[in-house]
Amino acid sequence: MRKFFSNQRLVMIVVILVLCFGLMGGSVALRNRRSTPPLIQQFGNDIVGFTSTVVAYPVNAFQSGVNSLSELTNAYQENRLLKKQVTELAQVKVRNQTLTEENKQLKKELKLNHSLTDYTTVTASVMTRTPSSWQNQLIINKGETSGVTKNMPVLSGSGLVGRISEVNKTNSKVELLSDSNEASNRFAIQISNKSGKTVNGIITGYQKSTGLLLMGHVTSKVKVTKGTKVITSGMGGVTPKGLYVGKVAKVSEDDYGLAKKIYIKPATNFNNINIVTVAELDS
Amino acid sequence: MYRLSKLKYVFPIGLLIAFFLDGALSNVFSGAFFSYPYSMVSHLVLLWLVLGYFFENEVQIPLTGFAVVTGIAFDLYYSGILGLFMVLFPLIIGLTRAIGKYFSPTFLTAIMIYFIDLAVFEFANYLAYMIIGIAHASFSSFLLYTLAPTLALNLVYFVVLYFPISLLYAHYNVEPRS
Repeated sequence: MRKFFSNQRLVMIVVILVLCFGLMGGSVALRNRRSTPPLIQQFGNDIVGFTSTVVAYPVNAFQSGVNSLSELTNAYQENRLLKKQVTELAQVKVRNQTLTEENKQLKKELKLNHSLTDYTTVTASVMTRTPSSWQNQLIINKGETSGVTKNMPVLSGSGLVGRISEVNKTNSKVELLSDSNEASNRFAIQISNKSGKTVNGIITGYQKSTGLLLMGHVTSKVKVTKGTKVITSGMGGVTPKGLYVGKVAKVSEDDYGLAKKIYIKPATNFNNINIVTVAELDS
Repeated sequence: MYRLSKLKYVFPIGLLIAFFLDGALSNVFSGAFFSYPYSMVSHLVLLWLVLGYFFENEVQIPLTGFAVVTGIAFDLYYSGILGLFMVLFPLIIGLTRAIGKYFSPTFLTAIMIYFIDLAVFEFANYLAYMIIGIAHASFSSFLLYTLAPTLALNLVYFVVLYFPISLLYAHYNVEPRS
């Protein structure tokens, strides 16, 4: 034991510890401040990402094979249900088209070029997930070259799932809403009830035990009922307006009884994401 | 000699596959691995490195060097926070060497040492992330919900992969005739 803690060794250990924590602290600070990581880190990530696809591809193919097998078993039932929806969808689509046309014309008349609901999307597939219990992070196969930038909202399935946290040239990292990092789920959202009144706020947290998103510090008197749809409000200028977040699951008073807390059931299961859409606000 | 052995190709390729499988499996089985409240973390890289120590025999694979390189790649690619795994992987190699030299390498001692490695690895990971403010879990919930399931998963890996990998090493760990 005495030999292990000889002077030289001790100095080495302390130096390594200091370096290690310095690097960690530095990279956390850097990640929060800069829009892209340093060039050398990007370069490394791009190379690793490229080789990653070689290994990830067969694994993903296996998964999709298993998935399609299990889907096959209830395909008939599903097909009947979906057929009914498709006929309705055609009507909605046509109506949507005419409304979009009208909207465009009206905007032109008002000389309004880009509003908060105009956004373009980049579709990407998920390569891997960080193997860690402390970070809920996905790595997707689109990066700076496809127009992805930091802080863009990421959608999957029918709703919002997270935010771009790091951008490299050909891949980027997505922090899921379930991540414990405080910056990851602060989205400006709004809830409109049946009478057309709106409650504005932000997502303030994620409750792991129930899988619900939290909208805290709501002082508005507007009545919100269970099942109301929650969408992003577009305030803050990074996130477009009208991205679907989920439905209200529960409304309760906060710890001091002064404000309300609204629990939101997210529209997408964060643990089964293969394809994501990155939304970019037009400006 | 590592440089003359065929392991010079086999070891890095295995390491690469283990590295990417960690992420790919975490993604594909995320429903099972990260179902609340448990979270199982796949550590195939660690398994490959530690088994490298047990099976290297006379070959002397430069494990510490490989550990540092994979650690850096792990930091950059998976977590985005530089500085943790690049130190932790070589540390675990050192720990395995320090304990391993007192035992003759059998399946039972190997799994015991790997158990200690995993516990130290996860604990150091938790501690470091706690200090820089990424993990927010109490120590007891860490023990119950992260450490225990992670140990379970990785020991299953170990049991399943020990003999295939030992056969692989037996096949390639032959000195070429000079």
